[in-house]
Amino acid sequence: SHPRKMRKDNKKDEEASSGNPFANLDKTTVVQEARAFNETPINARKCNAILCKLLYLLQHGETISRTEATDTFFAITKLWQSKDATLRRLVYLAIKDLCNVADDVIIVTSSLTKDMTGKEDMYRAAAIRALCRITDSGMLQAIERYMKQAIVDKVPAVASAALVSSLHMLKKSPDVVRRWANEVQEAVSSDNHMVQFHALGLLYHIRSSDRLAVNKLVQKFGKSGLRSPYALCYLIRIAAKLVEENENGSDKSAFQFIESCLRHKNEIVIYEAASAIVKLPNITSGDLASAVSVLQLFCSSPKPAMRFAAVRTLNKISINYPQAVISCNVDLEQLITDQNRSIATLAITTLLKTGAEASVER
Amino acid sequence: MALDLDMSSLYSIKGIAILDQDGHRILAKYYDSEVFPSQKEQAAFEKNLFQKTHKANSEIILLDGLICVYRSNVDLFFYVIGSAQENELILVSVLNCLYDSVSTVLRKNVEKKALLDSIDIAMLIMDEICDDGVIMETDPQAVVSRCALRPDEMNFGDQSVSQLGMSLLTSAKEQVKWSVFK
Repeated sequence: SHPRKMRKDNKKDEEASSGNPFANLDKTTVVQEARAFNETPINARKCNAILCKLLYLLQHGETISRTEATDTFFAITKLWQSKDATLRRLVYLAIKDLCNVADDVIIVTSSLTKDMTGKEDMYRAAAIRALCRITDSGMLQAIERYMKQAIVDKVPAVASAALVSSLHMLKKSPDVVRRWANEVQEAVSSDNHMVQFHALGLLYHIRSSDRLAVNKLVQKFGKSGLRSPYALCYLIRIAAKLVEENENGSDKSAFQFIESCLRHKNEIVIYEAASAIVKLPNITSGDLASAVSVLQLFCSSPKPAMRFAAVRTLNKISINYPQAVISCNVDLEQLITDQNRSIATLAITTLLKTGAEASVER
Repeated sequence: MALDLDMSSLYSIKGIAILDQDGHRILAKYYDSEVFPSQKEQAAFEKNLFQKTHKANSEIILLDGLICVYRSNVDLFFYVIGSAQENELILVSVLNCLYDSVSTVLRKNVEKKALLDSIDIAMLIMDEICDDGVIMETDPQAVVSRCALRPDEMNFGDQSVSQLGMSLLTSAKEQVKWSVFK
């Protein structure tokens, strides 16, 4: 139903675009089509198709003028009357994509606040994320109560949406978000892996200027055994930062926590711990050896990303501690012929640094 | 890229892209305006990325100081791009989530035509996986259940559906029941 622009491109291009209803979209036409959002009753299928075209154009870098964006934004607000779930969800996407270009976007604040506190979980999380994009410091205080509730919501998507949105808001309104520390701390004990990760990340950023508080945080959660691999990886990063800043070594517990993660059952956590250890300053050869032996095991993994991760980290170690990597030379030789060229190249350069002339000749 | 040295940043995803067999963008989102200030840089990066990966079936590449993990099927290429400091295995878990979520929605028909037919859901999937560079969810079942799927878009033959959100499933069953009674 959309008019196709005349194309002068060669045949191959036309073949490639055939069957792609989005290939030859014209922005002005799509903006005009968006007027259909004002019609009653709302034709969900038609409006869905128009919104898809608009979002597609925006994902393809099409620039939209302030007037066009504002007109479209206001037309989109009419779609709140539709009960079609997919259409409503596309509305949230469009709000997020247009809110930096259109004027007076705060017009949707009350609609989004209503959705955020409504019964439909499917809308609540998405509404929180869209609402926080259009919210400034002043308005954030108006929704503060709802945000605090959402952070400890039992629905993981809602809690994660509130936590990650708060993290974005921390840049604009640090003082408001810092007041939510209690709720955020409560969310760290969530059973959901992503909620735990998001809560720990936000809690750290709320407390990052207070060294003592960060120390306590690593001690507490290092011992309590976080269940989320992502949260554990994050805690490893915070602990490594503490160790780095505290070079006289008065606090051993942060390092002990990182080291204990080398024995975790999840390979993402094991790798995070190994790569954190090798980056630490003044590392002992014993500490280095345990990290290297973990990476050595990864070298023979059937997963390319694991071999890549291992050889890239071994390469980093070989710059300052070539001796420590010699034990992996046989494994590295195997990787010279790896079908992934990045892995092969990294293996060769690592071997050159470990000074194993014999293996290079082979 | 000074910010990348800050390991405490939660903004670990620089971009997510789905390209076709000619390297043309189908969907893409970039989250770091310092690394990708405009469409021009994004397009140049995508072109380079596609050239270096479309024949090499090897999952991971270090390109322009960024770690890119990828997967392909028939005429589609899926990419997740992160900083060089990022844990490669975490990026792979994001990529697998993207691929598996799309695969579930397209009923394992992971190809361009099917993707274009369900482009609304594909955009929702990308949104559920990453929020402005922060990883939101890496469990494909959670992602799919959070997208506003119409009952007819759910794959009833697939085992994974039994583990989808209960509210969704119940509403879908209701619909099926009513259509039987009609």
